[in-house]
Amino acid sequence: MPTPPVLTFAAGTLLLSGSGLSRSRAVEILGTPTPVWDPRVGGWRCDALDYRDIRDRLRDTSLSIADDVPAWGRVRWPRVNLPELRAEQQAAVEAWMQTGRGCVVMPTGTGKTEVALAIMAGTAASTLVVAPVRDLMYQWHRRILRGMGYDAGVVGDSTFRVRSVSVTTYDSACIHMERLGNRFELIVFDECHHLPGDVRRDAARMSAALLRLGLTATPERSDGRESDLDRLIGPRVYELPLSAVRGRTLADYEVVRIPVFLTDAEQARYDRLAGDVRQYVADRRKDDPQYTWQELCADTARTPEARRILRSYYAKKSIEDRAEEKLRVLEDLFRLHAGERFLIFAGSNAMARDVSKRFLIPCLLSHCGKKERLEVLEGLEAGRYPALVANRVLDEGVDLPAVKVAVVIGGTASTRQSRQRLGRVLRKVGDQRAVLYEIVSAGTNEERRSRRRRSTDAYAGTRHRRV
Amino acid sequence: MLTRELAIAEYDFAGGCVRPDRLTTGRHGHYAALADRMLAVYRTGLGRMRQELHRDVHGLFANEADCPPRRIDAFCKLLDEAGVFGRDRGGKAAALRREVFQRAARLHPLVAHADRLFEHTEARAKLHIADELGRPWGEIEAALFADIVEFQRLEEFRGYADGRALLSRYNVAQVQAALYDAVSMTVWAGGDFKTILRYARLAGLMHDIERRRAEGYVLRFSGPASVLRETRRYGAAMARFLPALIACRDWRMHAVLKTRRRGWKLGLDLSPADGLHSPVPSPADFDSSVEEAFARRWGAEPRDGWTLLREGDVLTAGQKVFVPDFTFRHADGRRVLLEIVGFWTPDYLEQKLATLRLFAHEPILLAVAASVSQHVPNLPANTIVYKTSVLVGEVLERLSAL
Repeated sequence: MPTPPVLTFAAGTLLLSGSGLSRSRAVEILGTPTPVWDPRVGGWRCDALDYRDIRDRLRDTSLSIADDVPAWGRVRWPRVNLPELRAEQQAAVEAWMQTGRGCVVMPTGTGKTEVALAIMAGTAASTLVVAPVRDLMYQWHRRILRGMGYDAGVVGDSTFRVRSVSVTTYDSACIHMERLGNRFELIVFDECHHLPGDVRRDAARMSAALLRLGLTATPERSDGRESDLDRLIGPRVYELPLSAVRGRTLADYEVVRIPVFLTDAEQARYDRLAGDVRQYVADRRKDDPQYTWQELCADTARTPEARRILRSYYAKKSIEDRAEEKLRVLEDLFRLHAGERFLIFAGSNAMARDVSKRFLIPCLLSHCGKKERLEVLEGLEAGRYPALVANRVLDEGVDLPAVKVAVVIGGTASTRQSRQRLGRVLRKVGDQRAVLYEIVSAGTNEERRSRRRRSTDAYAGTRHRRV
Repeated sequence: MLTRELAIAEYDFAGGCVRPDRLTTGRHGHYAALADRMLAVYRTGLGRMRQELHRDVHGLFANEADCPPRRIDAFCKLLDEAGVFGRDRGGKAAALRREVFQRAARLHPLVAHADRLFEHTEARAKLHIADELGRPWGEIEAALFADIVEFQRLEEFRGYADGRALLSRYNVAQVQAALYDAVSMTVWAGGDFKTILRYARLAGLMHDIERRRAEGYVLRFSGPASVLRETRRYGAAMARFLPALIACRDWRMHAVLKTRRRGWKLGLDLSPADGLHSPVPSPADFDSSVEEAFARRWGAEPRDGWTLLREGDVLTAGQKVFVPDFTFRHADGRRVLLEIVGFWTPDYLEQKLATLRLFAHEPILLAVAASVSQHVPNLPANTIVYKTSVLVGEVLERLSAL
């Protein structure tokens, strides 16, 4: 009994099946890259990502294929109440609307979320928003509720509640796209530089969404794979350079670096540990001048001595990170900016807790639940809390109340991290300048990291003042 | 299972194979005593923090020459898995933080030494808050972050029978961790192949079977997108499936792993001769499927004289092998097979039907998901169409009608 050809969404792929489908006919319908015959189910498979091109071909009625892929519908927004867009946001929306597929590159703090919400409101398409972390996922949920009165579904954080408009994280999207890939016509990738990872790209590849929007402030990746975004989402349709907005949308800002010195006890311990590490490496290089750090790590599997040296190295880093003097400097800054809201970024969970326990201010760490995060962030905004300390949780895109004082007391030197962190303090408050303090241990590796941070574009044109 | 970060394996690029870390009596005899001592740390460690237990386990290896730190971390993970830690379900620590930080906000900033501008010292503020909450400050500070994973306390330890059992679990866990990188898996199976197939299905893997006269059956496992590209996407499912395979007899396995080093491919081979041991996992450890749900609802007892057997029969016609999901046996000797076609595609169903035609002389009931059935006209008469689950009553009705 012959069955008419039908195109279905099958576990993150498209499957074309039916009687008498030759290879040439499958190619005619599915196009390139060449579809693959799957003998296990007796059908032609291709990536769900290719659905938009296939759909264009299916419009050609002579093909007479039943298209069972879309399981999406229109969305009725209960009430749309979005702020009026600024000129550059409007330009971004219009640029995207021309293609329905592409990435918008705008610096942190210039309102990428509003751009996405305007597009969602305008297209009325069922939408999946993919965010890097839980905080951001919940933040999207709040913004959609506030802007459109819609209580979006949540996929992630041990929740699986799918609605026509839903929010999720990259990790959950990747796992569940096998089941969700045909339920959303529009997919929004927030901080889309996360997408091109080996496994994470399945979040785009296994989705049949016709409309795709990527948002990022920092498209570059250290592995150079940002070019894959062209295929996974679409080309860069709009770009707003950081230099174009400084001083206009964003506050002009100043970077102040404060070196701190280790206490005598810390310094003595630091020197002893550093000496141990140096001595060990020097000893090894006597008979192997090429001895590297990698070899030391490999040696930890074989000798207790190498393990001890590796521990010394981490202990040394921890002394830099958690130098007592940093807490004293922080107290001075609290005094200097009495009455101002503070954001503090620590280099480790342990240091964040040290700060929290010393000054009894809330700390946001990855273990904090949704309720606590919300309470803390709202508390800072409402003035219930004077300050907030975080580890890298707040690196990206989490909406924070405007603050004028931010303090970095540790962290890595990567460009993206510092740019995202600066984005926090860049928010303009009236016409007052924002200040970013960097507290670094003098004469240690931290100093080197701080210098590297300042060499990036984000700091270009800022003033540096030493205290 | 271990996380990917805890995997230890030797990558033999010249020989084209991967050797997961393996502790054997011959080369690692002294580990038996170490394993006993690790178990003792946890057995006597009720009430202690995860961080302290890990530190003590690491301490046991301080003078051990042969030991990558990652191996110790892996032991900690496996020990943690066999224990129950306090989870602070009521959010007591978070509530305490809120209490403390809100009170302290009124005193901000807490300075080291008071002066005319800033009068609240850290020491006095803490005493004051402790007073208000009616608990000593030391106790408050200890409870403030008690919900953090490293600070959770061990409440219960089921553990492993002995040190050898822990080492045995470790060896299997390292093979599982290596399989996270697997893009495909082939199993040559003898008599136990039905059990193997059943667990592979439970783990969510797709398969094709081939019958070889001399070698028994060849089962190839992968996932839907595997035909499009080599993907590690289904590696975790293969790892989940592994303990069930190890518990079987008469098999050998070859997996292809795609390494992170420029995507080079290496093989991983395993057979009972490798001497790994694992208990048979409970089907409940897997995501439940339509088939499992049906079997659970039916239960172990006969209904109207019919007893349900899982994959009790193997039908062969030339190269073609067909293993129906279930066999029903009646007390009077009658036998009926049941095949459930889940949420697959119409073409999959078509192919199933073509296979079933080869076995037309057998009494086979077919259960088909409604979403699939609507695309296929002329379904056989003995077909049950179901929406979300196969109903026991409906099956009984068909059985009596046959």
